[in-house]
Amino acid sequence: MAPTTCTISLTVNGRPHVAEVEPRLLLVDFLREDLGLPGTHIGCEHGVCGTCTVLLDGASIRSCITFAVQADGAEISTVEGLARDGEMHPLQDEFAAKQGLQCGYCTPGMLMRAREILAENPDPSPAEVRSAIASNLCRCTGYQFIIEAVIGAAARMRATKEVAS
Amino acid sequence: MTTANRADAPPVRDHSAKRRWVGQSIRRVEDPKFLLGRGGYIADRITPGTLHAAVLRSPHAHARIARIDASGARTLPGVHAVITGAEAAELCDPMPDFGPDPARHTWRCLAADKVRYVGEGVAVVVADSRYLAEDALELIEVEYEPLPAVTDPERALAHGAPLVHEALESNCAYERTFDFGDVDRDFAEADLVVRDRLRWHRSGGQPLETVGAIAEYDQGTGSFTIDTNTLSFTSYLFMAANTLKVPVNRLDIRPVPAGGSFGSKLFANKPAVIAAMCARKTGRKVAYLEDRVDNISNCDHHGSDRVYDVELAVMRDGTMRGIKIDVVDDYGAYIQFGVGHHGNALAQVVGPYTIGSVRYRVRAALTNKNQQGAYRGFGSEVNNWMLEQMVELAARELGLDPVAIRRKNFIREFPHFIPTGNVYDSGDYDQVLEVALELADYGHWRAEQRRLREQEGRYIGIGLICAQERSVFSATEFWFWFDEPGAPVTSTPESVSLKVDATGGITAILYSCAFWGNSPETMVAQFVAEEFDCSPYDVSVVYHGSRDGLPATGPGGSRTTVMLAGAVEGAAGKIKEKARRAAAHLLEIDPDDVEWSDGGFGVKGDPERKKSLAEIAIALHLFKHSFPADMESGLDESKVFDHPYTTMPSADRTDLGVFYPFMGHACHVPVVEVDIETGAVTFLHYAAVHDCGTLVNPRSLAGHIVGGTAQGIGTALYEEYVYDDDGQLLSSSYLDYLIPTAMEVPELTIGHVETPSPYTPHGVKGGGEGGRMMAPAAINAAVNDALHPFGIRLTELPMTPERILSALRAAGPMGGPTGGPTGGPTGGPMGGPTGGPMGGPTGGPMGGPTGGRAG
Amino acid sequence: MKPPPFSYAAPTTLAEAVGLLTEHAEAEPRVLAGGQSLIPLMNFRLAKPGYLIDLRNVAGLGGIRREGDTLVIGAMTTMSEVERSAEVAVAAPLLAEAVGLVAHTPVRNRGTVGGSLAHADPAAELPAVALASGADLVAAGPAGSRVIPATEFLTGPFSTALAPDEILTEIRLPVWPGGHAFVEFSRIHANFAVVGVAALVVLDGDRIRRATLALTGVAPTAIRATAAERVLAGADVADVTAAAAKAAATAVQGLTPAGDLHASPQTRLALARTYLRRGIELATSRARNER
Repeated sequence: MAPTTCTISLTVNGRPHVAEVEPRLLLVDFLREDLGLPGTHIGCEHGVCGTCTVLLDGASIRSCITFAVQADGAEISTVEGLARDGEMHPLQDEFAAKQGLQCGYCTPGMLMRAREILAENPDPSPAEVRSAIASNLCRCTGYQFIIEAVIGAAARMRATKEVAS
Repeated sequence: MTTANRADAPPVRDHSAKRRWVGQSIRRVEDPKFLLGRGGYIADRITPGTLHAAVLRSPHAHARIARIDASGARTLPGVHAVITGAEAAELCDPMPDFGPDPARHTWRCLAADKVRYVGEGVAVVVADSRYLAEDALELIEVEYEPLPAVTDPERALAHGAPLVHEALESNCAYERTFDFGDVDRDFAEADLVVRDRLRWHRSGGQPLETVGAIAEYDQGTGSFTIDTNTLSFTSYLFMAANTLKVPVNRLDIRPVPAGGSFGSKLFANKPAVIAAMCARKTGRKVAYLEDRVDNISNCDHHGSDRVYDVELAVMRDGTMRGIKIDVVDDYGAYIQFGVGHHGNALAQVVGPYTIGSVRYRVRAALTNKNQQGAYRGFGSEVNNWMLEQMVELAARELGLDPVAIRRKNFIREFPHFIPTGNVYDSGDYDQVLEVALELADYGHWRAEQRRLREQEGRYIGIGLICAQERSVFSATEFWFWFDEPGAPVTSTPESVSLKVDATGGITAILYSCAFWGNSPETMVAQFVAEEFDCSPYDVSVVYHGSRDGLPATGPGGSRTTVMLAGAVEGAAGKIKEKARRAAAHLLEIDPDDVEWSDGGFGVKGDPERKKSLAEIAIALHLFKHSFPADMESGLDESKVFDHPYTTMPSADRTDLGVFYPFMGHACHVPVVEVDIETGAVTFLHYAAVHDCGTLVNPRSLAGHIVGGTAQGIGTALYEEYVYDDDGQLLSSSYLDYLIPTAMEVPELTIGHVETPSPYTPHGVKGGGEGGRMMAPAAINAAVNDALHPFGIRLTELPMTPERILSALRAAGPMGGPTGGPTGGPTGGPMGGPTGGPMGGPTGGPMGGPTGGRAG
Repeated sequence: MKPPPFSYAAPTTLAEAVGLLTEHAEAEPRVLAGGQSLIPLMNFRLAKPGYLIDLRNVAGLGGIRREGDTLVIGAMTTMSEVERSAEVAVAAPLLAEAVGLVAHTPVRNRGTVGGSLAHADPAAELPAVALASGADLVAAGPAGSRVIPATEFLTGPFSTALAPDEILTEIRLPVWPGGHAFVEFSRIHANFAVVGVAALVVLDGDRIRRATLALTGVAPTAIRATAAERVLAGADVADVTAAAAKAAATAVQGLTPAGDLHASPQTRLALARTYLRRGIELATSRARNER
């Protein structure tokens, strides 16, 4: 018996999509394979590591424990939507400047979570950043340079009064 | 100590030249693609039409496979093939294995007749999607005949234990005792012998990306092409070709960036073999990507798992004379790297101390667990921990200050040959210690420790350890264990090719230096920029597949930076030699009259007359007839850089030779607080000072120190692959295998000291493993320091709340802070009616979560 | 770790949702709220519902409102909404504190109050809050709505009094603005709690008039520590340290928690005593500050 599918409509990085998906298709697989957006990574597939973090209507979620059908009608933001017109987002640039990445695997999820953190609090202390990014595991950096990068990005974003959407 | 082989040391180098790029914390050249979400990891490379594999895994720790019925799976729509272990044994030979007796502890990509650990694969399904493949797994019926499992390494070695490999007739895969120096004399002359039993449980790299492979088989040529996120030991990939039953020149393994490794992707060939086997069977491209359960239970890279019985012989004044080490290492069900982990330990077994003699007895036990592989430190981090525990014990028993006993024994003259024969090339342990004590604000914390204990009944501890971080291994550490080794390998090369194109642009080709989060491209770019006065961002770095590549070994044992430095230096030297001749010819002058400066060759004394690299290159590429007959077109050169300082072990093995000469060193000083009611350990401060010789990119190295320390925190406090008595893996997901978050890792105060190596380009040493090589020892020392008032010494890692509270319970009511001489901090009843097994602390020195310590 | 196949519907009314549960009973249907507990289980293939009824489009299951002395929270309200709610902060600060301890923000952005209660993980925070608060849970089934007191709601590990064809629709919490504390011990920040304590304290002058205490991690479900509550009743606030210690010791008597790789039974009991004591002291100190 062929699996039944559902039709979903959603916006990803500002672009509308309509797709037929099996209800069991995980959002992370839909983004990576159906939409050709491999920037969101798979780490643990049980919602602990945060590697798969994307934003749904501006709120961070774990796409490995979300079905694509649950995102019907939503606005999804992934790492691919951060850079604009070939220019990196201040968060991306600060991660490069501070070496807030080594293998890069946790980085997209970390960037999206950082986006949410700074949207809620544009001027966090290092302790606040540390506490907030506890949601996302990193096995390489020990977190210190990630925190420096987020603080650096926050300062730049405040300076340019960019509103994190 | 040996005097042999000193003549074989490489020439001492002069590092006085000024550096422009080496030593700069430039942005990494690798980063943009990762930041943009275009990293190109293995899972990102799946093309349409690729099939997916999933492996059925054993729920039993030890069982015969009586029957497998895959008919239900084979007929599920979307399934292309099912291969059972028995079928795989026909299609493939055993896996590459550096163990002591591969014929008897035979390791296959899937279990054929019996399973030996929970998670061992018994069949593989290939289907249109991973979802469908997993559906099919549920339709495979396996009849197991469970066998008794053995999970304790000492019980595994005892008479009558269930045999993991019947053909081996024992669960002891290897046993040997080495003596270096005069152990008996040193012990006879000692004033005191301190003894201890120590237990280090297995943890592992657990990178966020698992191992994966995409394989294709070309029936026309009988060739395999495999993309995989493991590429190392290129020179040994012929073993993988043998497994797949193809000639070596019909196997091409191509590296792909990896999302972390920490050793666990080192020569991790099983996914590649499984994918390749499935590709040949189905005639299609097949991807096999481990999921997290696959990886935790079956990565074949669990870390060291040791029981130590140690004796350290010391004099009353603190001089350490000799050490006797008896270690049982639980290797799990297979032993792919033999006891190389103990070779690693022997490289720096005496730490930074002038200990004169060593007895090292190792027994490799086989049990029903996943096998060990590599984890940052590869066994030497465990030795660091063991040794520093013994130094601490000696200091306590002798009444000596921890700093003083270390200073008493520091090696101060270099190069220094340790009793095993290995050499420490350079170092300045006093300076590292001094910098560490200052950064740690040691005096302040000692005073705080006293004050907090007396005034608030709080228990903080300061750990201070000084230990080694060896770099650049030789192959001898894998085979000097055998008097008649079957393969006394002596090559561990690294190769780089440099190509200067007609515009003067430089491409560097790497052969086995996979990107794992280390920064091979940035290292090479900085080295090339240093040689040719270009920008590191103008250097193009590419990774070459194995088949038509030069010999190479790959990352491991902190060798990458040094070996790439040597390979780049060698290739650059050849480029410059040809470019010199060409420039001289173009300038119509003798080659001895030109010199390299600022991006080209110019006439000595007349730098305006010059040919840039670009001018030389275009001429060489396009204008052959402008040059002498013996000059070939082009400007490409390669260097196969062999290990620059390896010497052979003596026949009687009293001298293992030099095998890990570039010796870094570090001092870690964590300050912890132990909550004696909960067993929780929190950090109040953490200073770390490392000396890895000349730093190429200080920021990168600092990143590795923090990251390695974070993993060391995991090993010390949180991470453990826990197997129960039946061999069930209890920590089978990240709910139970606990990886530190940002809240478990403190901010580190980092210091750098640089004592260059006399033997390497620029004086660099490796340093990628250092953080994890120090942290477990340091944190154990800190916790023991905190709990010293209770008479408790923890000797088992990880120091979980359960282990800490058990120790406090065992210490008895005397151990209660309100019952002890320091009195109760908040007044109130001293233990009182609620005293009992927990002793005193119900009087609550900790107060409430917002009261008490926060004030 | 891909989930097994299932049939799926996203109804728009409660009646429709209940109807689907009844209609597809033989497929072992489950209700899908935020999925933060259910989907991981499905990825492990430990849960294999044949039919998932997604509540995300069902009207009337959200919202936080005050009805006199009761705080009413729709079952599909996310933990993040509860965490940010000014209403909850004032009327049920115990809930606000507990919700902040549930995993991490990304999980709270999807996880719902109803989902957590219906999942009934013995380590979870919200069932303990429901018990300590004396909450009522409202369920809708084919025969209509019914009210289930929290004390009757939890029937075993991952098991509740909800019938297979019932859906939790709202939680009704008595307003309790004063002395409260939710404290827990977990091994890694925001990982599941080994032991957790919900404490509510009401003062009468210098005495504790009433306390309610609930514990997680020491029994097959979250439990009320009624014997300990009796110890605290009437205790003098100046002696709270001693009273809390005595109450904590009383609470753990007779408990036989299971051990696991994180904590032996003995350690769980010791942690329970420690956290009960800390929770009572904190709740009492907050009650004092309220006056």
